[in-house]
Amino acid sequence: MSSPLFHAIGIALAAIVQVAAMLAVAPLLKTLIKKLKARLQNRQGPPLLQGYYDLAKLLRKEPVRSETASWIYVAGPRVYFAAALSATTLVPVWTASAPLESAGGILLLVGTLALGRFALATAALDTGSPFGGMGASRDMTIAALAEPALMLGLFTSALAAGSMNLGALVRGLVQQGPSYHPSDLLAFAGLLIIVVAETGRIPVDNPATHLELTMIHEAMVLEYAGPDLALVEWTAAVKELLYLTLLVDLFMPLGIATSLSPAALLISVVAWAAKVSMLAIVVTLIESMNAKLRLFRVPELVSTSLGLAFLALAIRFL
Amino acid sequence: MGSILAAGLTGAFAIRLVAIGVSLLLRGRPALCRFVSLAGSLVASAMTLRAALHVVRARGAVEGVLLHHAASGIEFGYQLTPLSAWFLLVLGVVAIPVTVYSAAYFTHAVSPRRTATVGMAFNSLLGAVELVFAAADVLTFLFAWELMTLATAILVATEHQERASRRAAYLYLVMSHVGTGCLVAGFFVVSAAAGSTSFATMFVGNLAEGSLRHALFALFFVGFGVKAGIVPLHVWLPEAHPAAPSSISALMSAVLVTAGVYGLVRVCAFGLGTPHVYWALACLLLGSVSAVLGVLYALTQTDIKRLLAYSTIENTGIIVLGLGAGMMAMAYGRGDLAAVAVAASLAHVLNHAAFKSLLFLGAGNVVAATGTRNIEELGGLLHRMPWTGLFFLTGAMAISGLPLLNGFVSEWLTFQALLFGFASTPGLMRLNFPLAGAMLALTTALAAACFVRAFGISFLARPRTRVADEAHEAPAIMLVPQAFLAVLCLALGLFPGAVLGAIGGSVVSLPGIQLQTSFARNPVSIVSGIPSFDYVVPALLGIAFAAALLVSWIVTTRQRFASRRAPTWGCGGELTASTEYTATAFSKPVMMIFRGVYRPTREVEALAEVSAYFPREVRYRARIEPTFERYVYGPIVRGVLKVAAGMKVLQAGSLHAYLAYVLLLTVALLLWLGGKT
Amino acid sequence: MTNELLILCAAGMLVTAYLMVGQKALFTAIRLYGVQSLLLAIVGVTIAVADSRLELLVTAGLTVALKTILIPWFLMRVIDRIGIHREIEPFLNVPASLLVCVGLTVVGYRVSTGFPVAARGASHHLIGVALSMLLIGLFLMVTRKKAITQILALLTVENAVFLVAVGVTPGMPLIVELGISFDVILAVLILGVLVHRIVDRFESMDVSRLSKLKG
Repeated sequence: MSSPLFHAIGIALAAIVQVAAMLAVAPLLKTLIKKLKARLQNRQGPPLLQGYYDLAKLLRKEPVRSETASWIYVAGPRVYFAAALSATTLVPVWTASAPLESAGGILLLVGTLALGRFALATAALDTGSPFGGMGASRDMTIAALAEPALMLGLFTSALAAGSMNLGALVRGLVQQGPSYHPSDLLAFAGLLIIVVAETGRIPVDNPATHLELTMIHEAMVLEYAGPDLALVEWTAAVKELLYLTLLVDLFMPLGIATSLSPAALLISVVAWAAKVSMLAIVVTLIESMNAKLRLFRVPELVSTSLGLAFLALAIRFL
Repeated sequence: MGSILAAGLTGAFAIRLVAIGVSLLLRGRPALCRFVSLAGSLVASAMTLRAALHVVRARGAVEGVLLHHAASGIEFGYQLTPLSAWFLLVLGVVAIPVTVYSAAYFTHAVSPRRTATVGMAFNSLLGAVELVFAAADVLTFLFAWELMTLATAILVATEHQERASRRAAYLYLVMSHVGTGCLVAGFFVVSAAAGSTSFATMFVGNLAEGSLRHALFALFFVGFGVKAGIVPLHVWLPEAHPAAPSSISALMSAVLVTAGVYGLVRVCAFGLGTPHVYWALACLLLGSVSAVLGVLYALTQTDIKRLLAYSTIENTGIIVLGLGAGMMAMAYGRGDLAAVAVAASLAHVLNHAAFKSLLFLGAGNVVAATGTRNIEELGGLLHRMPWTGLFFLTGAMAISGLPLLNGFVSEWLTFQALLFGFASTPGLMRLNFPLAGAMLALTTALAAACFVRAFGISFLARPRTRVADEAHEAPAIMLVPQAFLAVLCLALGLFPGAVLGAIGGSVVSLPGIQLQTSFARNPVSIVSGIPSFDYVVPALLGIAFAAALLVSWIVTTRQRFASRRAPTWGCGGELTASTEYTATAFSKPVMMIFRGVYRPTREVEALAEVSAYFPREVRYRARIEPTFERYVYGPIVRGVLKVAAGMKVLQAGSLHAYLAYVLLLTVALLLWLGGKT
Repeated sequence: MTNELLILCAAGMLVTAYLMVGQKALFTAIRLYGVQSLLLAIVGVTIAVADSRLELLVTAGLTVALKTILIPWFLMRVIDRIGIHREIEPFLNVPASLLVCVGLTVVGYRVSTGFPVAARGASHHLIGVALSMLLIGLFLMVTRKKAITQILALLTVENAVFLVAVGVTPGMPLIVELGISFDVILAVLILGVLVHRIVDRFESMDVSRLSKLKG
């Protein structure tokens, strides 16, 4: 019975490699977006490796925790981190199959990310600080509003490709070749708005602020320091990378490696880097050209996304 | 083997009767009475569970007779179909931990004088629900249904000196009887058409045509929907659940509601012939609306048990949603897809029973320890009640549909069913499925928000009042059932294939269902049955998650020193319990966004002594509009009272008037009947 | 011959019912009831002889004993004790009441034509008379105010039912007849006691005063 064992080991190795790579690249993406934003604002911006320096600094510090907090507060960032990492194993990044694609597909991905969010929001309430409660409340509300639009957008792609399993979906899309339906653009627009909402970027949330009236995600994690904060920031970066990779997989998967030959892998990595950078530029432009919305205007934005997703579905299948 | 099973179910009822009798005799000794009634109930539940397990595994029906009165020909028979066995399984899985919990809980919550009554009502309730699931003919079913209603009403009115309890019991009785009236009417028509009162002959197929069939569906839907708690028939639920003791609320949510669902599945979906498309649409629509409204109202409750009651309405909506998708598939002749949808529905029945009882038992611990149901008065309980907190957290995560726990499994299946529905339905009708899917996604996410709030405000941060500060952990006997249920939720989440195998055995006998062989391949994975769609193996994700947790631990334990504790940052001031976030504040964004649904009103009062710029006290009161009570039931009740007042004229109080009625009626009857030869 | 006798007795019973409607004196009403019961007994004897059903003789004997002798005697004692001998003004005056009774008779006869033809030719008439008496009895109960009259009306209804049972059906089991007879006696006894009570409380036998008890 060595073959299933090898199979399992192979899957584990692939998962480890993918997760490690995502962990490694995520801070770079975060800093890239910061630098691009700064450039648009006529500033220099941080050096591209700043993300790594920040993480290293935080990891070296002493963890300071609130007196009123319990084990939930300690577990929160770790569960958030673990959820995001396990979610990345479900997504095909450089090959047309995800390491753990036999575990599940789109629904499991969304559920795992929800698990991380639940943990972080609960932990935010543990400090007894009104900031934590406020951040948790707002974040969960916006996430709740974003879920239907996310589901619908993902459904559309899944129905078009015939499977909800991301690996099978990408393989199906690659096989079909480059054919674009008008509904793709609508679905892309809708999902892009949701990605902006889920990763906490302007116009939904400002990742660089610590003003009470303007924080959502930052308010939730205000109390964290040292390694706990490192985990949270790292996870945020990984989530950003994950969502952008998801967009790449769903709408422009061409170039992804369908075999394990070194040439195909190289092409795939380069293509992926290019596409993610392009999407990063798009996100930066959105962030720079818009002001942050009032909290109670966010539902309007999200319902726009919902309408777009619904329209995409209707156009494609009716 | 059949005789052992027959002994199982009949024996269970016999034991319950004996327990009731003995507990009534022992009413002067509350501790002994409690022990006898609960022990008897435990044994009976175990026997029923065993019988149900056997039927589920054997995939064949078991029949028998409970009581036969030769002189009048009245017979109480039972028939354990695989479907009934599934529901009995759900009942057994929930009833056993709740009974164990009640043994300790009733010492706090029930006064010694009422112990005998509560013990009797407890046994009657469980016995009646078992009989509802096992009934083979109309008479048995109605007898059991009424007994279930009455037993629950007695339990709801346990604290009958409280006006709220009395009102809740009264409302529950009235609405139940309206529902039962509809059921009786429906049964009359169907048994008249079928010529017999046995379920096996009555509910086999197209006995009625056209508008009569629709009318029958409507009657049965209302009748069972009242018990299940579908909007707009749900108004009794939020009143009745909080009024009953917590373990009884657990039973009500898990079991009573399940009885309504059983009726919906057995009769509305599978008993009246191939479902019509409009019926499926009604189920889909009402299910989605119940789900969303249930969770929206739950988000604004500060009474923890009312919150859980509204959450029950939400989950009923999800169950009915799945059922509607299945009915739509059957209406278009897709038996394979219907199998998935109905399986999703039945799986959610079990999952809901498990995590809802867990949550109610946890709430019971909290209420017993602090004496208050208001979460705004709690806080910091996790330090004082660590185990209760852990189990409540498990229940909260399960109900939010997070992976690795059982809520995710049934929601995954429901989403799959909706996806299939879209793929298989022709025309514009298919648009209902993505709509329902969007509402289901909204519901799930809002439920997560709701339970972050419920758990976070009650258990975390600082205690807000003295009672929360002085709370203490519940005794072990109350914690063990919760531990069992929490482990069950985890197991059902990681090994969904086993559950689906059992469900497969239950649905295979239903008309119109075609079960795929790949349905439950192995215990850890579930396949949605259609090769081009999806499968999920939560256990694999669990392994990845555990590995990632390990990574996070490795990455962060390179410090040379342990963590330091410091006060929470309070912008330079000191933080106290009053500066903590409140539950009302937590749900404010949702209340603002959905104000069309809530129609909130608020009053802010600032009391000042010296000057209006220095208020001594600010009072804030927010109210949400009781939409259904005011705009749906208010007019109905007023109309009924008006008609009754009008009919008061007939009750003249005069003997001669009554005799005149008799005379007139006799003449009229004679003329009408005598004219026919 | 049998049929004519039967029809004569039935008609006689109907006449007594009409006379009861037209009566104001309570004594006479009670005596009319006695006559009615006697005619019923004669019907029973006739059929017993014609069909050689000897148990009907027992029935007839019972009827004579109870309804012709015992009950009227008891009721007259009640009236004596109370001291009220006349009916007061009823809700409907006598001519109008008689008109209504005619209408009710028509109804009864019309309904009786709907019944299937029995072996005996007089069956239609017997059923017609019985139904008419039943309706007239009910009508009496509705329009009269004194309790005694209402008891008499109830007994008339019972006679009507008995007529059908004896004259048209193959007969009732003896035990059922005994049961019915005892029921009647008991009903009358109880009603007699109640009449005393009513008079005690209201100083009058006027049953319409009972509506004062309405809350």
